[in-house]
Amino acid sequence: MRRLLLLLLALVPAIAFAQGFQVNLGGQKQIGMGHTGTGLVQDGASIFFNPGAVAMLPENSIQAGISPLFFKSAFNPSGSNTVYHNANKVATPFNAYAVWGPKNGFWKFGLGVYTPFGGLTDWGNSWSGKYVLESLNLKAIYVQPTISIRLANWVSIGGGFVYNHGSVDLTRAIPVSGADGQDGQAQLKGGGNGYGWNAGVFFKATGFTAGVSYRSKVKTTIDGGDAFFTVPASLQANFPQPNTFTASIPLPSTTSVGFGIYPTNKLTLALDVNYVHWSVYKVLAFDYAKNTSTLQDTYSPRNYKDAASFRVGGQYKTTDKLALRVGGGYALTSVRDGYVTPEAPDANRYYFTAGAGYKLSRHFDIDASFEFEKVLSRNQTNIESNLSGTFNTQVYIPGVALTYHW
Amino acid sequence: MKNLKLYFYLLLLTAVFSACKPEIHTPAPQQGSADFSRYIAVGNSLTAGYADGGLYLEGQQNSYPSIIAKQMITAGGAQTFNQPLFSQSQANGSGYLKLTGFDSNGSPVTASVTTNLAITGVTNIPNFGNVTTYTKYTGDIDNYGVPGIKLLHIKVPQYGNLNGFFERLLPGAEGTHTTTYLDFISAKPFTFFSNWLGNNDALGYATSGGAGDVLTDKAVFNALYTELINTLTKTGAKGVCATIPDVTAIPYFNTVTPALILAGVQKANASVQAIYVNAKSNTDVTSTTYAARPATASDLITLTFPTSKIGQPVASAGNLPYGLTPLTPIENQYVLDANEVSIVKDYVTAYNNTIKTVAASKNIAVADMYTFLNDVKAHGLLVDGVSLNSAYISGGLFSLDGVHLTPRGYAVVANQFIKAINTQYNANIPQVSVGAYNGVKFP
Repeated sequence: MRRLLLLLLALVPAIAFAQGFQVNLGGQKQIGMGHTGTGLVQDGASIFFNPGAVAMLPENSIQAGISPLFFKSAFNPSGSNTVYHNANKVATPFNAYAVWGPKNGFWKFGLGVYTPFGGLTDWGNSWSGKYVLESLNLKAIYVQPTISIRLANWVSIGGGFVYNHGSVDLTRAIPVSGADGQDGQAQLKGGGNGYGWNAGVFFKATGFTAGVSYRSKVKTTIDGGDAFFTVPASLQANFPQPNTFTASIPLPSTTSVGFGIYPTNKLTLALDVNYVHWSVYKVLAFDYAKNTSTLQDTYSPRNYKDAASFRVGGQYKTTDKLALRVGGGYALTSVRDGYVTPEAPDANRYYFTAGAGYKLSRHFDIDASFEFEKVLSRNQTNIESNLSGTFNTQVYIPGVALTYHW
Repeated sequence: MKNLKLYFYLLLLTAVFSACKPEIHTPAPQQGSADFSRYIAVGNSLTAGYADGGLYLEGQQNSYPSIIAKQMITAGGAQTFNQPLFSQSQANGSGYLKLTGFDSNGSPVTASVTTNLAITGVTNIPNFGNVTTYTKYTGDIDNYGVPGIKLLHIKVPQYGNLNGFFERLLPGAEGTHTTTYLDFISAKPFTFFSNWLGNNDALGYATSGGAGDVLTDKAVFNALYTELINTLTKTGAKGVCATIPDVTAIPYFNTVTPALILAGVQKANASVQAIYVNAKSNTDVTSTTYAARPATASDLITLTFPTSKIGQPVASAGNLPYGLTPLTPIENQYVLDANEVSIVKDYVTAYNNTIKTVAASKNIAVADMYTFLNDVKAHGLLVDGVSLNSAYISGGLFSLDGVHLTPRGYAVVANQFIKAINTQYNANIPQVSVGAYNGVKFP
């Protein structure tokens, strides 16, 4: 006969990811100008910003850029004077584009590979939110073949197919102590694919350009990801191994409108407005292949709201060889009060950017960019974990790109 | 060469960005109208850091007073907080329970730790009985928690001879002590105190099923508590008092239930309709009338009840099965029956009214553990992604004895004290991260 109650551990690995995770690092020229580009025709990055503009590109080109991202976040628990910082880890969003079409032809073909969403955060295993999240490495790599057609000298259209490979690697402490007092550990690791499309239209007039583009939602499902649980031996049966999980991340659709004006032939001014349909992100569900009374499937509300961002930028060509760029913007958060989580502690944010482009030779350009992003300090109590405190985040993003054009 | 330079710049860039950390300006810790320069802790086993049925070094090191004292440092508290710790070589102190695994039913299996103890012997005290003594502690003391002590004992001169945990703090030989607890704690000046005495005045009665101990008289409790607080505050010290938890909020009484026992019996013999307990016939505390009756959900069975007794033939009652007939009920000492529960609740309520009234009269902060632990029992507690509750072992708060707390439980309690202090004295002692302390350790 049973002396005492069965062990019923209410340990729900309610793990969350995919937050205000939009990276926006589409191309070095555009970063320098405050992420504007929907209403401009600059280079192959139009594949990302507005596929409708690709046919207006004067040359064929191939380019690649990288933007090492230093995400620096701090957390102060409510009622405490302790401040935790995330570890120094560098994410590497990249972009690569190729554009080809017949000389003076009415169409161009493009191929883009870029990382529109992602996050790399490592809070370590001794901070107060360790049972919510220790570290997360989330990547989404989009591959986008694109065709663009110039309908007339003043208007072109384009569209592409998007293939996404997403991956997640997440760790979190489990609140069960071993004989040495150490926590258990959960690691969820896997990859999956998703599909979508994008389209855009671009208008060109004297001294004025404009564009509208749309990137569809890409629902990426991670199926059969590995779920590793390191727990004391006496509890191992509660966390069956090996185990797998299934989860879906809806990467949201984005609608962009952009304008370019050209006061002189050396000066370009640009304005973009983005509207990201984050409201598709209602819930984060994890479905484990093997469940126990301890390890249940989880269903965490996210209830994101749509969010807009406003961007301005300018470029000044000091000489034929050197262009200088500045820009900035303000982005509204998609995360409602009570839903802020440590993966990417989101809040309204502003940013400033600067950049320079230099023609190394007739065919070869180098572009550098720098961005400082300030996520506004936000005091929150998460409704699901009760993790309560103030997050303060700033992001530093240098970047460089090389372009060969002919 | 050129590449080398590039790498150098990249490294430099990495270093620069790594150094730029976002700042959060936290409110400065401060003592407000209190003075934490010498904080002393007054109390019983909970204050001493007792856990898993014993007092041992690791429990002492995670006592709630030691946690509070550490948090007080930035708010003007002393750098050191002296506790009567057991030495490393005698780290297991009195011995304690350890979880060794789970049986085939999923029930926990525990074993006693019997090595590296601090026990020095057993002395027979005339007219009292045997007292286990421990290696003496001779250093400074700020944590005066003595396991087992009642408020009732604080003015008893001979008490040092009756409680080995108090005896080890006193100079002189066992059997010769004459210092009262109250004199002992107030001998040296202090500026701030915490006081969580009074639990054992009710708990002793409750954990013995109302059979092995008596409740401290309400008027006596009131008089002693008033004198205690008068003594503690007479030199102007401020402090915090804690109320006594509802004894029915602890897993010691909520883990082995009549329904669980009955279900186990019915697995073997489906015809059994009830288990029987020897229950008090009324709520008169002086009455000794007990009678057997079927157990209900209002009767609380102690965690220490050996369920293997159920169904065993009782020789003195014609070999009838234990616990299953009115002639062979579960004995009184294993059952806090419904009437006894009412009595204990009534006394605890009276004690707590005394604590709150006396504290208020001296403008002393009150950490209302009664309300807090009842709330935890009813709703659980969600902290930093950890779901805590009052369940045995899995709840994370209570240690293996079902009465005392885990380090995590003591950290939660420390935060309750800190909040009460901060509110009363307009202080700002930073709270502690509950996740930094462990719950029950699993093998």
